[in-house]
Amino acid sequence: MAGIFDRFANLVAQRQAMLDEGGSDPFQVRMDEVLSQTEAIIAGKRTILCGTNNYLGLTFAPEALKAAHDALDAFGTGTTGSRVANGTYSGHKDLERTLCEFFNKDSAIVFSTGFLANAGVLSTLMGPGDFILMDADCHASIYDGVRASSAEIIRFKHNDAADLDKRLARLADKPGNKLIVIEGIYSMLGDKAPLKDIVAVKKKHANTFLLSDEAHSVGVLGRYGRGLPEEAGCEDDVDFIVGTFSKSVGTVGGFVVSSYPNFDMLRLVCRPYIFTASLPPSVVASARVNLGLIKNGGALRTRLMRNAKALHNGLTEAGLKLASDISPVVAVVAPDPQTAIAFWRGLIDAGVYVNLALPPATPYGYSLLRCSLCAAHTEEQLREVVAIFTTVATNLGLIERRTPRVALG
Amino acid sequence: MTANGELSPDTFAAFYELLKPFNKTGVDLKPETRFSEDLNFDSLVVMEFVATVEDRFDISVPMNILPDIATIQHLGLAVEKIVKAAKG
Ligand SMILES: Cc1ncc(COP(=O)(O)O)c(C=O)c1O
Repeated sequence: MAGIFDRFANLVAQRQAMLDEGGSDPFQVRMDEVLSQTEAIIAGKRTILCGTNNYLGLTFAPEALKAAHDALDAFGTGTTGSRVANGTYSGHKDLERTLCEFFNKDSAIVFSTGFLANAGVLSTLMGPGDFILMDADCHASIYDGVRASSAEIIRFKHNDAADLDKRLARLADKPGNKLIVIEGIYSMLGDKAPLKDIVAVKKKHANTFLLSDEAHSVGVLGRYGRGLPEEAGCEDDVDFIVGTFSKSVGTVGGFVVSSYPNFDMLRLVCRPYIFTASLPPSVVASARVNLGLIKNGGALRTRLMRNAKALHNGLTEAGLKLASDISPVVAVVAPDPQTAIAFWRGLIDAGVYVNLALPPATPYGYSLLRCSLCAAHTEEQLREVVAIFTTVATNLGLIERRTPRVALG
Repeated sequence: MTANGELSPDTFAAFYELLKPFNKTGVDLKPETRFSEDLNFDSLVVMEFVATVEDRFDISVPMNILPDIATIQHLGLAVEKIVKAAKG
């Protein structure tokens, strides 16, 4: 009789081959101590964290720590219940009000993770006879969400507004609603959606709505950190914004905001909202405080972008191949998965943590060393990251050994 | 057109051309060739191939039908149906 895991045999074999080479396992990193937003002890070694999506470094914001401690003492370690049963505390409602004010929208619904927010919203927003047109590079949570929807699901080419337009035009005589789904910043390569072009396409077609997952852009883009819609000046044209507290906001949780009439009724039908426990009060309290810090975080965003530029330029000058433009995500391309794994191991052994991202989780089949920057990285840390990348890449024969240039003056 | 119908020779010929760059192991292509077992496509390669089919026929193939697609014949018939519907 066949074993229940037989169909995963290839995957298990690949993983075993990786472990057989020796060295640490890129998918089982353990942090024994977190020294700051940018450093941890991994395998007994002080390691620079350069792949945590902690863009603004708010995980240790004193104001958020205090609010979390206070909520913990006042409300306990958990709610032990769903939002629709015993799991809604005053903090959850306060947080939803804060989100409405932050985004200037009428309704906000807080979920237990961003994954669940996408799963809940995308499975319920469109119904039978409707259509969802999603960017092909969307996150796994969006794919899982639309799979549970009764709408017809169509993918358009990544960041290609003309392809989207063509596909919407083919649906012109279908009466159903159409929902376009994009991300503000795409997680693997850090590239932004061409939002103005997509909004222009949306406006050309009847009954067409736009949802943007701003997981990587809230806190990062826009004068007040409201993400790509704010930066691109089209907030009123994005009907639904999904987001997470697990990146810039520095904790965990997810949300959706909208001013669409009666939007709140989604609380009655989103299974990932109803059938899971709500966020602990301490998490809710820290998210709320950090949203305030994000709103007034212009200086943090300036530092983040300065750091993004420094790492991008440093790695480019070192001769590495990057698949990203200047952005808080820096994607270094390795020629193949084996080299990427060796590269990753070289980095971790030398004290730098980045994300190893392999196909099929990456676009274009890239094998990536994915870095993400933090406003709290210092110039010195980033110089060290570049130096270590350079050494490891040189040892792997990916870049030529060069005599260091001597800076004059 | 039902899912059990015959694939037109034109459609099969078009698929034959489109599949060439995807057919890494030189499998002998027939209408009943299976994407997963015979051609070793994973779900991502299936998506990629569907995108090239969409370009070639200038159509959108809804993702919803993919779970029911195992062979060239299945996808070919689905495409014929979509093309016919688009012509009205
Ligand atoms: C684009 C995108 N959407 C959603 C999520 C899910 O967020 P969360 O970590 O809150 O589940 C992530 C992060 O993993 C993401 O990158």
